[in-house]
Amino acid sequence: MSATEIIDQQALNFFVKNVGAEVASQLEACTRCGLCADACHFYISTGNPEYTPIWKVELLRRAYEQNYTILGKLKTAIGLDKRIDTEDIAHWAVLDFQACTVCKRCSFVCPMGIDIAGLIGKVRAGLTAAHATPPKLMAMTKNQLEKGSPDGSDEAKWAAWFKWGEEQLGKSLPMDVKGADSLVVFTMLELNSFRNNLVHIARIMNAAGEKWTLSLRARDAFNMGTVIGDGAVQKKLAERIVKVAHELGVKRIIVTECGHGYVTLRQAAHNLFGETLPFDVVHITELMGDFVRQGRLKLRKGYFDNEHRITYHDACKIQRIGGNFDSPREILNLIAPSSFVEMNLNREQSFCCGGGGGVRAIPEAYDLRMEAFSLKAAQMREVDATDVVMSCSNCRLQFKEGFEHFRIQGEVKGLVEMVAEAMIE
Amino acid sequence: MDWLEFFRGPMFQIALLVFILGMVYRFLRIVLMGWKKDYSPPRGSAAAGVVKTYVKGLGFLPFLPPKFPGTRHRPLTYIAGGMFHLGLFVVIFLSTPHMEAWRSVLGFGWPTLPTPFIDGFAAMSMIGMIILLSNRIVSPVGRMLTGLGEWLNWIVVFLPLLSGWVLYHHLFGMPYQTIFAIHMFTVDWLLIWIPFSRISHFMTYFITRTMHGAKFGRLGVEP
Repeated sequence: MSATEIIDQQALNFFVKNVGAEVASQLEACTRCGLCADACHFYISTGNPEYTPIWKVELLRRAYEQNYTILGKLKTAIGLDKRIDTEDIAHWAVLDFQACTVCKRCSFVCPMGIDIAGLIGKVRAGLTAAHATPPKLMAMTKNQLEKGSPDGSDEAKWAAWFKWGEEQLGKSLPMDVKGADSLVVFTMLELNSFRNNLVHIARIMNAAGEKWTLSLRARDAFNMGTVIGDGAVQKKLAERIVKVAHELGVKRIIVTECGHGYVTLRQAAHNLFGETLPFDVVHITELMGDFVRQGRLKLRKGYFDNEHRITYHDACKIQRIGGNFDSPREILNLIAPSSFVEMNLNREQSFCCGGGGGVRAIPEAYDLRMEAFSLKAAQMREVDATDVVMSCSNCRLQFKEGFEHFRIQGEVKGLVEMVAEAMIE
Repeated sequence: MDWLEFFRGPMFQIALLVFILGMVYRFLRIVLMGWKKDYSPPRGSAAAGVVKTYVKGLGFLPFLPPKFPGTRHRPLTYIAGGMFHLGLFVVIFLSTPHMEAWRSVLGFGWPTLPTPFIDGFAAMSMIGMIILLSNRIVSPVGRMLTGLGEWLNWIVVFLPLLSGWVLYHHLFGMPYQTIFAIHMFTVDWLLIWIPFSRISHFMTYFITRTMHGAKFGRLGVEP
């Protein structure tokens, strides 16, 4: 067996090993109607049939049929279907990593109820097992394992940011406080691009009278294991945060403006450790909503009402599968009741920004993700929105780049900064 | 024994046996692969999610496609799918001759619809199938996803509908016995074919829909 054949075999073995009833029933239920194509921002914006979500699962389907079904075995034996080879793996690595943000829009559209994006996650895992993951994502994974953050930011850089935050605030930040109620975990995107989030969130926490803490040991909610589909990495990275949460005895982990970090801790982490962890995982969006509802946070009514029209972008991980639809709307209806306008496709129907699932990090995917973003820009145009607000740093960066790319005038805001500005301290 | 007797008699029984055993095998093979337990704390009711997803999946999607994905592009595919399935089930379960066939197998019967209605549903079903097939030929996505299996499935499902239609309307001046024998042959072949093909999605549908509803219900999201 040649080296590439061995690698192909590894991918195949991975697919075969990871087939349980959940995967098998979904693969068997697909009638290949193709309706999922119309859910996918990559397909809609380019018309390339290969971007049909279920087509991105093709490798897994072939591996399943060739190993588990009588007809599949027969088809392979007589040459009607060929075994997965290096070329297939390279081809699908592009489709699954560059042309899919794992936004799960397709999963809500399938007439059979197949969680197509969930299956794409399995394909990504197989591709990673076959060493076919885009090099940039692998480099980021290595960085995060070694230094703590995917961009290579280490503890010293984070410590410097926290110190900067203390200077801005004029008071110290709570660090490793035992018995705090909330452990707040940021991401490197905020560290690098939205530095003020630290100050904003500290002010929000303090204003609400929350007993909270930071920790340099549990600093980055980013999880490259989730992005590339490597369970071992995912567990290792989640463990850094889970361990500190255990040690400090917090009641909940607050994930700031990050989508996949939030779902990783809220959903995957429990299953990675095989137990229900003794703390809640809450996104900053829902936390701010709770604070407002509980009267712990007072916002200036109509603070952002002006000639601008502001719309809200629902993020895939925070809203579509996180369910945090109402909190941002309640907040926006308070601080910008006249300026706030919904996009026509909103809540679970919202289009993905085109930059999630690691796509924004892959240089080769730039043109494609801008194509996908054009749908989002069109959504904004439809309702004459000038500004857009969201609570995911990755979406926010994609919007900023998209605005620049298409020369769109307007502002891209974070919900956290708006709340911090409109808040009565 | 003539052909008709053979296709209605021993052949039908064999086909039924293959169908039942095949589907039991497929069901068990999937289910016995095992489910992973979900340890994440629920944010909503899995049961409510299941109910909602069936209401949406059975009552809404096939007839009133959702606002968000396909309507602007291919509402017809949703609607044709709905027409085909509804028509097919009405013909299989609510026509008098078919109910009689069921009675001979199950031992009990039920009220049926008048024949002109059945005729309409059969026509609707066949029109739905033709639209679905056209989509597979015309749309680049449909062409890419359609393989030998999909073609064969279409033919195997269409032939009993067509032969039943010809039988009922005495078309082409064919002797009644001959066309009846052809109809029974296509039905036998359909039954044998189902466990080996994706037509078995009538069973996996209930697994995937239930999983979908439970999963998203648990997450606190409208499935």
